[in-house]
Amino acid sequence: MSGNLYTRRMGDAYDTIFRQCVSLNTELHRLVPLAKQMHLLSSNAVSSAARAGSEGDAFRVLTQDIQLLGDDVSDCIDDTQKVIGEIVKLASNLARLFSNYMIYIDLKSRLDDADASTSVKFFDRGQKLVAEDIRSHNYKLSRSLGSLTNLLSPIAILVKKGEYLAVCSSVEAASAGDHGVSFEAVSSMLRELVGQLGEQSARQRSLLRDLSDAMEQQQNNQGKLLYAR
Amino acid sequence: MRVEQLFKKNAHNWMVMGRDAERRDEVIDTNHYLIQNNGRGLLLDPGGVENFSVVASEFSKHFELANVEAIFASHQDPDVISSLPLWIQANPNLIVYVPQIWVSFITHFGVKLENIRPIPDEGGTITLGGHDLEVVPAHYLHSSGNLSVYDPQAKIFFSGDIGAALLPDDYTSLFVENFDLHTSYMEYFHRRWMPSNTAKARWIAEVRKRDVEMLCPQHGAIFKGEDVGRFLSWFENLDVGSGWSNVR
Repeated sequence: MSGNLYTRRMGDAYDTIFRQCVSLNTELHRLVPLAKQMHLLSSNAVSSAARAGSEGDAFRVLTQDIQLLGDDVSDCIDDTQKVIGEIVKLASNLARLFSNYMIYIDLKSRLDDADASTSVKFFDRGQKLVAEDIRSHNYKLSRSLGSLTNLLSPIAILVKKGEYLAVCSSVEAASAGDHGVSFEAVSSMLRELVGQLGEQSARQRSLLRDLSDAMEQQQNNQGKLLYAR
Repeated sequence: MRVEQLFKKNAHNWMVMGRDAERRDEVIDTNHYLIQNNGRGLLLDPGGVENFSVVASEFSKHFELANVEAIFASHQDPDVISSLPLWIQANPNLIVYVPQIWVSFITHFGVKLENIRPIPDEGGTITLGGHDLEVVPAHYLHSSGNLSVYDPQAKIFFSGDIGAALLPDDYTSLFVENFDLHTSYMEYFHRRWMPSNTAKARWIAEVRKRDVEMLCPQHGAIFKGEDVGRFLSWFENLDVGSGWSNVR
């Protein structure tokens, strides 16, 4: 592959990585209303348990777990949003830095061709600074992607927990007489919310896998470009 | 890209480059100036990040860029100064002269305050290799913090966007060739980009106090000899800040 084509593909790859980061960010934002709905559901569950009096004792224990589940989902979203914010910033900086690196390469090729008063070496410093910045951003980006993978993995466990709580709520609904109707409503709503959480979490994991693959590929290419010169 | 020497006497020299044929269509054409004195260099409006490699490589043919000690930015626009971080990466000791009111804006390009020498509203002096250049206020023409540079030895007045023209692609000369025709390339630019007739009158009065043989804008063509006076009269009679109704 010619040098120009090679580096142009790398520039395109950075744009792709940046777009993937933005998509992942958008997908994560979709979890925010889910967490809010889960909090609302836990409040409804507490009210239903209170209305049921002593028949709602067992369900009341479940409502505490539903509340904790909502809190865990919220915490998970807050943490992932912080990390994804950093990732988007790093990816955008990387695209800009790579563009600057290419400008130095272009300049040096022009100077190679010209009978210049200025030595090509004068621009070495700038090019080296940009290359170091790219390496440092790559390192940070890899670390942040690792953190994001770790932060997203508990969501699968939370989904399982939610499904389990929905089943328990249905069991309580079956044995709660007249109050069972409102318990069942909580159960079915919870099942729906954790279902959505599961679907979105799967989409995010898939996006994150694509992003990590693209980053790994780009880092390999970059190693060749930055270290070869 | 055309590069020409505008003035040379002993160790004092002015160069201009412009008409970059390689630039993308959507990027406005810009002129860049390099003043050399006693082996030291000053770049005036070095341009955007888009044409850094062209500007640096062209001036490199004629001057050791390691000896460029300063950059002057007439105002804060990206076509004037967005290449700044690349210049500073190459030479971290570079001094950057900018209108005072734009300091906290230009630092958004990633430039550190230690490189910046703010020029107050009233203008001042830049010394290059022992030679003084006058910095003349040109505020509101077009930027609200805007400066021109006058070199009394070369009798060259760098006017930034004042005198700018949007030239047709086949206009290859760096100089105004037919003043009457040239006004048609300048009129819209000045009506649309220049907001203040008061500021215009003050700046014209400042230019007329000086002996000017060349008036050098950042876009378009350079005015030489009698065309300098013609431009000042034409500009004096132009109602600026009046171009917006044409674009509605």
